[in-house]
Amino acid sequence: MRIRTLWLMLATLVASLALVATGCGGSDDGGDAAGTGSSSGSTEEQTGGEAADQTITINWGTEPPSLDPGLASDTTSANILLNIMDPLVKLDDDLKPVPSLAESWDISEDGKTVTFNLSTEGAWTNGDPVTAKDFEYSWKRTISPELAADYAYQFYGIAGAQDYNGCKANCAAMADKVGVKAVDDQTLEVTLTTPQPWFIQQVAHHSFLAVHEPTIKQFGAKWTEAANIVTNGPFKLETWQHNSKIDIVKSEEWRDAANVKLTRVNGRMISDGTTAVQAFEAGEVDVTGTLPPEEIPRLKETEDYQQYPGLGTYTYGFNVKSITDVNQRKAMSLAINRREIIDNIAQADQLPATGWTPEGMPGYDTINPASPWLPENGDLEQAKTLMEQVSSPKKDITLLLNDSPGHRDIAVAVQAAWKELGLNVTIKQQEWAQFLEFIGPPPDKSIDVYRYGWIGDYVDAINFLELWTCESGNNSTNYCDPEYDKLVEDARKTQDNDARYEIYAELEDKLLGEDGAVPMSPIYFYTYVQLERPSVQDTLNLNLLDQSDLTKVVVTEG
Amino acid sequence: MGTFIIRRIVWTIPVILLVIFMTFVLMRQIAGNPFRTSERNVPEEIQRNLERKFGLDKPWYIQYVTYVKNVATFDLGPSLVLRNRDVNDIVREHFPRSLELGGLAFLFAFVVGILVGALSGLRANSALDYGAMFLSNVGYALPSFLVATLFIYFFALEWDLGFPTSGWTTWQSKVLPVIALGLAPMAAFARLVRGTMLETLQQDYIRTAKAKGLRWRRVVGLHVLRNSLIPVITAAGPTLGFLITGSFVIEQIFAIPGIGRYYVTAVTARDYSVVMGLTVLLAIIVILANLFVDIMYGILDPRTRDARA
Repeated sequence: MRIRTLWLMLATLVASLALVATGCGGSDDGGDAAGTGSSSGSTEEQTGGEAADQTITINWGTEPPSLDPGLASDTTSANILLNIMDPLVKLDDDLKPVPSLAESWDISEDGKTVTFNLSTEGAWTNGDPVTAKDFEYSWKRTISPELAADYAYQFYGIAGAQDYNGCKANCAAMADKVGVKAVDDQTLEVTLTTPQPWFIQQVAHHSFLAVHEPTIKQFGAKWTEAANIVTNGPFKLETWQHNSKIDIVKSEEWRDAANVKLTRVNGRMISDGTTAVQAFEAGEVDVTGTLPPEEIPRLKETEDYQQYPGLGTYTYGFNVKSITDVNQRKAMSLAINRREIIDNIAQADQLPATGWTPEGMPGYDTINPASPWLPENGDLEQAKTLMEQVSSPKKDITLLLNDSPGHRDIAVAVQAAWKELGLNVTIKQQEWAQFLEFIGPPPDKSIDVYRYGWIGDYVDAINFLELWTCESGNNSTNYCDPEYDKLVEDARKTQDNDARYEIYAELEDKLLGEDGAVPMSPIYFYTYVQLERPSVQDTLNLNLLDQSDLTKVVVTEG
Repeated sequence: MGTFIIRRIVWTIPVILLVIFMTFVLMRQIAGNPFRTSERNVPEEIQRNLERKFGLDKPWYIQYVTYVKNVATFDLGPSLVLRNRDVNDIVREHFPRSLELGGLAFLFAFVVGILVGALSGLRANSALDYGAMFLSNVGYALPSFLVATLFIYFFALEWDLGFPTSGWTTWQSKVLPVIALGLAPMAAFARLVRGTMLETLQQDYIRTAKAKGLRWRRVVGLHVLRNSLIPVITAAGPTLGFLITGSFVIEQIFAIPGIGRYYVTAVTARDYSVVMGLTVLLAIIVILANLFVDIMYGILDPRTRDARA
């Protein structure tokens, strides 16, 4: 073969590639990723008028592990589910429960019986009406041991639920004893084990959604596929290509469809943060989802950057059996400069923690202890003074983290701060599942300090404060105070919100107050950041639980 | 040749069994709870329910035997993490995409690599040769995720050439990932071809062929290329195997719904059934790729054929 021929072949290859690419480059509406890039960019600047095309493209981020309300346990699934299904109760901007499918509810005198009165207008996409029986079936299904639902524990407040979930034999009989009953088509009666003042708020959680029994019986585990699924919410699941996209469209049959402006949401699943930002900049998506930390300083300056407070706390937990002197724990907590960490490392305008329960929680003003051990800029002076009072300090500290670059950077800053106190900190990073095994509880003996985060399931501080009881499955600090446990029990029984917030304040005090045990040192309260196109910024918001109510979104012009 | 192939296929069975066993043991060794995905711990009752549902409460040897029996009937089990999906579904839906991505990348690497390598070899020590080898070295040294991100930034974003930034839908969306994935193997092939070509060109039988008066084109095409391709074919087999299943980074960056993403996230999540299923799949692919290579040897190189006979 002559050289020239080989050359010709190579040149043809390159040329044809370039030609075809540029030649067909005009429209990138190659089918699936059509965003509103064209519509919002081409019209002139107008103030707030509604766009003709009420379509947006969202990046959901990852593939939802399941769209079965009984099996979904992550925020992506929750976000989609709460838009395609109709919950009994929703949370308003102040996180107070407002009627959704349940028009009203009554709580008995002793607080143990809650009765929901359902609207008659709830309907499944196949035409069947939504009845209280659907909820009874769904809740019992989620509690059943056969389904092995991760969030079955959310139902443990209901009488008989924990027993049914843990039953090993004769389970059918136990199912009947669970305190959920459809008195008639529109009335759902729930019997609780103790009065739980936050129960109504909890019912806004996606695990309390109803599922369509005939569909499940027909399709089994495959009932959530787009071709099979039957829903009852403001949007319908039109397409689900696994790991690729989820598109939802407005359901005209929904009971309040007249007030829903959005007609269509195209959803991508781009899990790489950098690619998501590039897709946004190329006009392929209108909402990015979480941003990669290293890009936040640059993106903060753009007009698309949006930030929302989150109901979560980032903290370092102490192993109180190894760092036994409370003064040492107090000193270590004082030494951390939270402002520096937030400004230079985390960089998403998180709020410096002043207690364990995050800001935004109802009752925060009462609950928050404004802990003297969590100074915003750190207080090395006082920390050193306190350290001197420690008779036999633990000098060699092992700090355990899971492997994520962000966590490591923060750990290095804290390591430097603790070095000032004369402590030698070794940072140990572990792969996620290994890390979880190590912190248990009970935590591995080699751990002195570990990094932890807690995001609220529902909007009541008990969800945060009950973590530090002696028997809590999430307490890896070895902190155990029977008085603390007693206060938690008291809080569970207190129905009046204000009185309960007072008890929460006492609990915070026990943890982080002047005489607190300081079993952990919270660093900051989470925020959620994403890029949003200006045409949806006003109406598309993330609430404290990282969910967006798409029924409220309106695409504006320009 | 026929008995050779049959013998090789029969040998895959014990190999697969060994692969299953080793994966099984290793996955159990690294500990970790497949049902604990966040800091939130799993309550006792729920942990028991989950273990019962997926058969993890049985002793390990029973689990192993059950699994092997299922594999024999092509039932790879349900995913422990993606609760509504079976491993069979995952493979059926996502493997073709990885296959396509890997196959196209391989084609790109093979064709362009051989072309570039051949040109360089025939024009050794010229500016073209140095240039091509320099670019090949760069392509080989740059990690694929860097190449991928640069491609997206320049070709999809800055220069607006009509390539989307991510996804695997239209043919335009396939160009960048294929080239990003195929760049390093292409460089490797180019260097290989160049090297063996230089060697082959020194051989006596080439001088003989030229002396006999054969046209240079025929000499290169028939004798030189064919003998130069042998090491390339050796490298091609495992390369094809790993391109198909090892494209995790590219799939992650370009948001391509292939099995690469599933594979790595499954290990982190301790999704035993997905990891086992995909490992078995990968093993079969590598074995088939190697078998293909051996068959190619037989066709390309008569000496191997005779040796076997």
